[in-house]
Amino acid sequence: MTEYAERRQGPDIADFLIDNAQVLSIAVFFVACTIFFSASADYFLTVGNILNILRQAAPLLIVATAMTFVIVTAGIDLSVGSLIALINAVAAIALAAGLPWPLVVLAMFALGGLIGLAQGWFIAYQDVPAFIVTLAGLSILRGVALYLTKGYSIPISGVPGFLAIGRATVYGIPLPAIIAAAVALVGYVAIGRTKYGRQVVAVGSNAEAARRVGMPARWIVASVYIVSGVCAALAGIMLAARLGSGSSNAAVGFELQAIAAVVLGGTSLMGGRGTILGTILGTLTIAVIGNGLILMHISPFFTQIVTGAIILAAIWINTRIFSTRFRLKQRKEG
Amino acid sequence: MATGASLTDGGASPLRSAVGGTVPRIRLRGIRKRFGSVDALRGVDLELFPSECLGLVGDNAAGKSTLTKIISGTYIPDAGTIEIDGEVVRLTGPADARGRNIEMVFQDLSLCDHIDVVGNLFLGRERTRGPFLDRARMLAEGRQMLDALEIRIPKLTTRVAQLSGGQRQAIAIARAASFRPKVLIMDEPTSALAVAEVEAVLHLINRVKASGVSVILITHRLQDLFRVCDRIAVMYEGTKVAERAIENTDLEDLVKLIVGQGTLQ
Ligand SMILES: Nc1ncnc2c1ncn2[C@@H]1O[C@H](COP(=O)(O)OP(=O)(O)OP(=O)(O)O)[C@@H](O)[C@H]1O
Ligand SMILES: [Mg+2]
Repeated sequence: MTEYAERRQGPDIADFLIDNAQVLSIAVFFVACTIFFSASADYFLTVGNILNILRQAAPLLIVATAMTFVIVTAGIDLSVGSLIALINAVAAIALAAGLPWPLVVLAMFALGGLIGLAQGWFIAYQDVPAFIVTLAGLSILRGVALYLTKGYSIPISGVPGFLAIGRATVYGIPLPAIIAAAVALVGYVAIGRTKYGRQVVAVGSNAEAARRVGMPARWIVASVYIVSGVCAALAGIMLAARLGSGSSNAAVGFELQAIAAVVLGGTSLMGGRGTILGTILGTLTIAVIGNGLILMHISPFFTQIVTGAIILAAIWINTRIFSTRFRLKQRKEG
Repeated sequence: MATGASLTDGGASPLRSAVGGTVPRIRLRGIRKRFGSVDALRGVDLELFPSECLGLVGDNAAGKSTLTKIISGTYIPDAGTIEIDGEVVRLTGPADARGRNIEMVFQDLSLCDHIDVVGNLFLGRERTRGPFLDRARMLAEGRQMLDALEIRIPKLTTRVAQLSGGQRQAIAIARAASFRPKVLIMDEPTSALAVAEVEAVLHLINRVKASGVSVILITHRLQDLFRVCDRIAVMYEGTKVAERAIENTDLEDLVKLIVGQGTLQ
């Protein structure tokens, strides 16, 4: 007679690998890029260049961290690039008018948050698709920025405190990089360890289930766009401070870079699954590719093509690996 | 109890006295609900008393799920009143109903696939320390919740997407049953369960009933009804067509009532 024995529990490492396969694969890809550029461009692996990459990547990391929250709810925020431009323009105008810079910074956070709230309201409470609302935002916010500046770039000078946000270093490390790392850390803890993060994941995974257990599902959806707006404002301030001017032409295409960083990191566009660690690696990969190609003296026009192609390839490979695993699993069950 | 006489369904009146002179925990009157062109509920009256299990049966699309979703605050009725413990209330949503200790196991379970077992058990009721999730506490309490219902799931940190259909159903039941409900609604809770697990659920129903909980059980497994229910209500095309005390009915009678050949009292 057969013995009734409990199924043996496999090693935990197997679950870990499956859960984190996408983060691991982007990590491998990142390391591969780094090795490739180290070999191809002499200057790439120098302290100066690494610090430069970190400074360059900071605004993208901030926006991509917030974008991870948005995408985890199965949403999208296409307006972040335009919002950065608007913040650039308004901050420069306010500083030129002589307003104290700390006040300007706070006001920009509030502006970013309010614009996020407005978009979130349409998305969460009026059920207009996020793609449409933020596409309109992309157009409107850029338009307002252009209108305010008449298309010119407004110089920011005589406010060392403000400019420091983009240019200062702490023990040799660029302040923007430190701020961005702090934002990413907060995002990492928030999404995995806090009640708010759990609500965001729940809404993205099964909005009706979240509603049925009494979560304020609509408010949670709206809130991620506020987070995104505030983070875009921070990135906008950082960019304006680094460049010393406010330009309505800043950050064109930034939303696509941010989305690419998030998706490259393994966050699912279908919602429910997201990882800040992956987003950090995705952001660094995009930054390293951009920087490396410039150091290799490849035409900047070509850079865009290569970046796009690499992103497509990486995500394609990722998807293939995952669908294969999925099929294998199904066959075993059948 | 005098208000109970206004029930339009003739079958209910003698039954009510059989349960005793208590105030019903839930009383629905004239509940209507429309979805576009579908008249899902066409004026339903229903009473549910403490310590009883009411079986709700009927054909597919009869309106059972819709009716129970109204009690759990998931849908707001177009017309009709809901009384809880003798007091007319307007449930504003699922959070409101949950706050009044009404819990429901949904037919489609309502689990979040991307969240682990313990996260789903505590969904909407996360144990926290400040803004942070208290994982250690949830793991310990979650294990107790499952043990109490004799549900075997080796790892509470498995994501729900990786579980079997029956395990998922067990989690949904544990979630609804573990937070001291006063009203426990189960919409086909046993459809995917194996023999031992069905037994465990039936035991659970008898146990919570004994402690004063009111249970509504929707199931197509009619033989189960006779093991736990005190009363059975039959729905047909959005109306309640009959109500029977369990001792006054049998399988054959129920089948007739469900398919619409019974003698409507
Ligand atoms: N959200 C909804 N939108 C539109 N129609 C709905 C909705 N929910 C239920 N209905 C309709 O209401 C009617 C009753 O459905 P309900 O789910 O209550 O039936 P049921 O008795 O639970 O059936 P089953 O035994 O198949 O679960 C059906 O005709 C269904 O199509
Ligand atoms: Mg149903």
